[in-house]
Amino acid sequence: MSTLFEIVNPSYLLFPALVGTMIMGLVCPLIGSFLVLRRTVFLGLTLPEIAAAGVAFTFWMQQAGLLPQMGQSERGVAMVGSLVFTFLGMGLLGYLEQRGKGLAEGRLAAAYAFAGALTILFMVFNPAGQIEVLNLLKGEVIALSKAELRLLVAVFGMVLVSMLLFRREFLLTSFDRDLAFLLKGRQVVWDILLYLLAGLIIAFGVIMAGPLLIFGFLVLPALAAKPLVSRMSSFLVVSSALGLVMAFLGFYSSVRLDLPLGPTDVTLGCCLIFLAYGLSRISKRMRPALLALICLALSLSACSVKTAAPPVPEAKAIHAEQLWLAKVKNSTALPLFLPVNNPLRSLAEMAGKISPDDYRQSVMDLLRQNLQTELGQKGFQISLPEDKDARFPAFPADSAGATRMAREGKLSGMVFVTEIWRWEGETQKFVRALVDFKLVRIDDGAIVWERRVQRAIPTPSATNLGEASADAVKAILHDLFAG
Amino acid sequence: MKPAGSIDAIKSARGGDSAEESLPLVTLQSVSLGYDSKPVIKEVNLAIYPGSLIGLAGPNGSGKTTLFRTILGLLPPIGGTLSRNCPLSNFGYVPQSTALDPQFPLSASEVVEMGAYGRVRPYQFLPAMEKERVKEILHQIGLPQLAARSFFSLSGGQKQRMLIARALMVNPKIMILDEPLSGVDEESRRSIADLLTKLTREKGLAVFFSSHDLEMVQRVADSIVRIDKGQIWLDERKARLHL
Repeated sequence: MSTLFEIVNPSYLLFPALVGTMIMGLVCPLIGSFLVLRRTVFLGLTLPEIAAAGVAFTFWMQQAGLLPQMGQSERGVAMVGSLVFTFLGMGLLGYLEQRGKGLAEGRLAAAYAFAGALTILFMVFNPAGQIEVLNLLKGEVIALSKAELRLLVAVFGMVLVSMLLFRREFLLTSFDRDLAFLLKGRQVVWDILLYLLAGLIIAFGVIMAGPLLIFGFLVLPALAAKPLVSRMSSFLVVSSALGLVMAFLGFYSSVRLDLPLGPTDVTLGCCLIFLAYGLSRISKRMRPALLALICLALSLSACSVKTAAPPVPEAKAIHAEQLWLAKVKNSTALPLFLPVNNPLRSLAEMAGKISPDDYRQSVMDLLRQNLQTELGQKGFQISLPEDKDARFPAFPADSAGATRMAREGKLSGMVFVTEIWRWEGETQKFVRALVDFKLVRIDDGAIVWERRVQRAIPTPSATNLGEASADAVKAILHDLFAG
Repeated sequence: MKPAGSIDAIKSARGGDSAEESLPLVTLQSVSLGYDSKPVIKEVNLAIYPGSLIGLAGPNGSGKTTLFRTILGLLPPIGGTLSRNCPLSNFGYVPQSTALDPQFPLSASEVVEMGAYGRVRPYQFLPAMEKERVKEILHQIGLPQLAARSFFSLSGGQKQRMLIARALMVNPKIMILDEPLSGVDEESRRSIADLLTKLTREKGLAVFFSSHDLEMVQRVADSIVRIDKGQIWLDERKARLHL
């Protein structure tokens, strides 16, 4: 299990993702602060949705052969769609704003609903790419590569510098347009620049982190900072600082507890708002003490190292050289076939959208083959239940069920059962897995050894989903057998 | 009272006629003003000279703010001629404090600093000289102790004085104040009125302020322009007092 110190180590596999999340946490609140103050928060919700529609549209066009293929660069394609749609959407909303017809909130709400509907329709038109688009829209920042991180640094760095340089102009045009006009003439340029910067971070952020996380970073730190400050300069600094805290703690919790990053960060952001309002209600003298207490509690919890789970025991240690290795039970709703080479087809197959033309090896087969090898090296003599009776199905991971099945099949000794609850190859960059392993004594149903593996497994060297699953299986077995 | 304010009438009401003062800072000749080509007020003739303290009195919705916004270039006049003898950056504008969004976490000194933004380039830090001037002006308006306080936590009168301080940061030749005396307590009214008088007498600024309270305008202003039902005229009772 990762500790605080592991994830801040640059050699940590998910370090680029951590840095990327923190950059977003630092920069997004600066833009979000102005959206909050200008009472245009819904723009922060609508633009990511429009960007998502752009992603879905681009993939549909590509699938229909109306746009050229761009090699393996799925995110590159998505970024083009995201950018084009974001700026088109902003232009249209700006035009309607100028015309001044109807309520601003009404326009944004209609645009949000329309963009959401379009996203779904574009995905329906493009069944082969549906899963891929869904994955991109989920925007798992955890799969961020170093090249993408460089792009993120460039774009968000530019936005950060612009926000620092033009903070006074943005403030003046947001707070008092009349004074801005008297002092500096027509201020439309600053409005355009602010929305351009917002569009940039949203278009790139949606691809790299997903609409939910980007909206969270834009709005939540700013809302949390508001009750704590009475100066604009402090507001921007505290918003950014809270964005960083939200990004770091969210990432840490996500890795440590195997939770999806977007919802974890957003939940944490909402907690920060409650905490901030709570802090604002207690006396200023008490605040540092309370903050110190919270930091101490967080540090203690973050630095604690979970006791490593014991590895699979040696055969001699449990006096059970003979072991039945049951078929791996797949309790996901997916068939988990290992794909061959076409990524779009592979994704659809893994999701059960397309039937394989002929026999395909599955994740269950791969896991079982590897288990057989590793258990053999531990001194076990492996037998397969189906060799005794071909009708043996996969065993469930609950010891009572496994024991009952073994007894009904007249097996004796020990049985090794495996059940997959979750196996999600988001992209080839990592696999989210939840798998139960148990060593059960058939006579009395006692569990001799058990282990649950629940984590996101990075698979950076994989070039397709099949390799990603294979790498994930190896990583899990390494955990099981090395402790 | 005579309908339609005349340039000469206001000039005579102001008194004083030095060479420098003889040029009006703002002149409106037969100006019609309003929104979307629909006039709210027609035939406005008005001149504002340096050192004049003019009150604009009229009921709510009579077009006081529309007149101010037209003078400030925020609304184009529908007809007639509007001329200014100083750039817009020399206009100190004090809006109604309720027109500003209390959502913004701004300290009083940050609000006052905004008056200097026209002189600072985007990438520059606010020069020390401007920071000194903020302190100086806060002393001038008598509220230096409130510099660090949240602007929107101040009382109505304090907010108005801070907005006057912001307008003074512009280094104005003319100050236009929209209802500076409404929603403030009696002591603050007196204090603001004294400040406006001081600015015209000691600094030679032209001050043009509005109020829906005619009695208050009569107490403070040197000359009074009345506005109501699409008409604007000089209140000669007050003008006579200053002749």
